[in-house]
Amino acid sequence: MLFSMFLRSFFIQAGWNYERFQNLGFVFALAPALRRIYPDREKLKAALLRHLEIFNTQPYMSGFVLGNIAAMEERASSAADPAAELAKMPGVKQALASSFASIGDRIFWGRLKPMTAQICLLVWAAGGFYGWLFTGLDERVPLALLLGGPLAGTVFYSAFAVYYRWKGVRRGFACGGAANCALDTVNWPRLIRLLSIAGFLMSLAIVALAFSLLIGVNGCACGGWRLALKAVVPVCVLALHRLTRAFGRSVFFAAGALLAVSILLFSVFGLEPLKFYL
Amino acid sequence: MLTALRTILSAVLAGLLGLDAVQAGQFLLSRPAFVGPALGWLNGCPLEGARLGILLELLYIDFIPVGGVVPPNGAAAAAAAVLAHSAGGLPPALSFFIGLAAGAAYSPIEYRLRAARSLWNTAVAEQVKAGDFNIGRWLARALLAENAALGFYVACCAALSAALALVPRLGSIYPGADFAYSLMPWLGLSGLYFRFRTQVGKK
Repeated sequence: MLFSMFLRSFFIQAGWNYERFQNLGFVFALAPALRRIYPDREKLKAALLRHLEIFNTQPYMSGFVLGNIAAMEERASSAADPAAELAKMPGVKQALASSFASIGDRIFWGRLKPMTAQICLLVWAAGGFYGWLFTGLDERVPLALLLGGPLAGTVFYSAFAVYYRWKGVRRGFACGGAANCALDTVNWPRLIRLLSIAGFLMSLAIVALAFSLLIGVNGCACGGWRLALKAVVPVCVLALHRLTRAFGRSVFFAAGALLAVSILLFSVFGLEPLKFYL
Repeated sequence: MLTALRTILSAVLAGLLGLDAVQAGQFLLSRPAFVGPALGWLNGCPLEGARLGILLELLYIDFIPVGGVVPPNGAAAAAAAVLAHSAGGLPPALSFFIGLAAGAAYSPIEYRLRAARSLWNTAVAEQVKAGDFNIGRWLARALLAENAALGFYVACCAALSAALALVPRLGSIYPGADFAYSLMPWLGLSGLYFRFRTQVGKK
């Protein structure tokens, strides 16, 4: 039953809608537990309808809520006063969904997802592929390396995602019934902080690598002021991005501005473009 | 003929990979960094696919799909960029900016698909009340609709890119587009840096 819920939790967002968010996916994932708890069709029907109400949480953390609610339903089915048990359920479900959504968003969307791009770049760098930095450079790169970079990030990310989905269902089912159930599974603030530091260190390493490559590629064959210009332009791009963020604009605004200015300078006025590699 | 077949296959694959973004699995196989080289390989340009993919990914890092927010679609962006290059015959620089725009332009479509599913809630409740407990059917329908929508959208983007390549004097914008494209890695790296820089000080 728990394994079936775990597998179905991968589709929790399949029916995402603006009226009740993940409700269809939640009922789909909870259905194996409800079918076992309520052999009686009328009771099963009532349970399914109960969970078609609004529900939304972070998808990877949904297991914690699913396990908890399955345990509460099981307890309610054998309770002397099921109505009292069921009355507690919406509050517990809502509290857990909100808490785990907040934790999950920070871990998965805020930290782990950007880290997959970092891992990809580091794997490519380890394999000797720097073509992502010098866009016009023609190289021969093995396909295994090109696909290996993004896949390494995916494996790293999925290890966390699958682990917390499974652990969530199990822990939630084990301690079901309380609004703080399984919130102490991991020291979340510590994990978030560790991921932030790891991500920042990797960011620094990649930026340092990029500037070293820029200087390394141009250093021997390029004069002083030209090399300085090649180093200053990327710094200006970094500053532009910072500025657009400060004014609440997305990165698309910065990309669009760079495209417009470049077309004006090099296509309309016909200036000779600067190349970042030789 | 072969290019058309590859484009259709790529559109179908993009549609399937796109499901991973929100609806099924969420293993991050829908990231531009993976979709780019995968479709590039299918279309005979894995290196350019990888480059387009990772650069789109670095810019798309800025967007987080929390709550009901529909961020620009990375799979659509990477697929449109790779196909603009391989099927449309456009240079990588222009293909990149086409992909960037295509990913953002897909958001309203995704929004409408999600909004349309709101109407299903009443129908699902009626079905359950009538004694039919098969909810998986509705989810399968949602997956099929999303897959078809994204696949069709990517195929349309490829066709539009091929039409764009026929525009006279389009080549005059290539030097500017090339230079802007060469700055994108730095713009992406700054996004990566600031994303974690702001987090490190937070409790």
